[in-house]
Amino acid sequence: MNARNGGLLALAVVVVVGSALIGSRREGARFAGSDGQALEAVAAIQPDYRPWFGAIWQPPPEIASGLFALQAALGAGVLGYYLGYRRGRARRRRDRADAGD
Amino acid sequence: MHIAEGFLPPLHAAAWTAIALPFVAASARRVNRLMREQPQTKLLLAASGAFAFVLSALKLPSVTGSCSHATGTGLGSILFGPSALALLGTIVLAFQALLLAHGGITTLGANVFSMAVVGPWVAYGSLWAARALNAPLAAGVFLAALLGNMATYLTTAGQLALAFPDPVSGLAGSFLKFAGVFAPTQLPLAVVEGLLTVVIVNFLREYSGDELRVLRFAPEILAVEARS
Repeated sequence: MNARNGGLLALAVVVVVGSALIGSRREGARFAGSDGQALEAVAAIQPDYRPWFGAIWQPPPEIASGLFALQAALGAGVLGYYLGYRRGRARRRRDRADAGD
Repeated sequence: MHIAEGFLPPLHAAAWTAIALPFVAASARRVNRLMREQPQTKLLLAASGAFAFVLSALKLPSVTGSCSHATGTGLGSILFGPSALALLGTIVLAFQALLLAHGGITTLGANVFSMAVVGPWVAYGSLWAARALNAPLAAGVFLAALLGNMATYLTTAGQLALAFPDPVSGLAGSFLKFAGVFAPTQLPLAVVEGLLTVVIVNFLREYSGDELRVLRFAPEILAVEARS
């Protein structure tokens, strides 16, 4: 399983890096978010639309990047804890089973 | 798929909130019951939520020269059933709407519907269909995550098209325009999400067989083949 998962992870990295390389060759590539581009499309269809409600709190850009990192870190932390816990437990059980033989 | 704050007209915002609400309520009940009846799966549920948390925080570059993010809801959906995901997705989206000004409170209902309702149901249905066609499990899981991701973004395109039909080409023209913004950018990211979801499922089958077996929704399809 480890070799297969390693291969899948490597493939995922290749897809991300390949996408970035192909994308950066596009003219005017700025890697803007597609959510933002959708808003530009709204403006193109209905130029007079004005959002009727604004964000309650808008973090300054530097803080926002930190909060995004925090979100990723929280998720990765919990996920990593689970995977490590499970792997360690399986190994302990295997060792115990071996010792019992 | 985060429609920005205030970018759906009030009527649309209210309607999507009303549509999403029962799904979230049912999801809360389902998660509650799960915790009570199968407390041993608590950690796995947290890990599934964490997977969505990470993936929806990472903006990845795409072939179109723009960037977007995966949703990560396919994994939890195939493990716990699609209805468990509405609550997890709402937590993720509320976090981003309140702290990151990403998405919004007025558009939360619409965003929950696309990411935490449609995506998970499409993922679950895709796995079910792939298994009915005797596709290998890994292929089914890959497709489930990929199609759930794409469905989420196409739903967003549909929601925007309903709110902003093109004056010339109408609803369909507007949908194609929004889908054209999202879909090409999203495709490589959906592939990445599919691959990562297969990685996690492989791991679970190797090390978490006992949890998979008690999950009513992690279809016997996972448990039957799981090595303990």
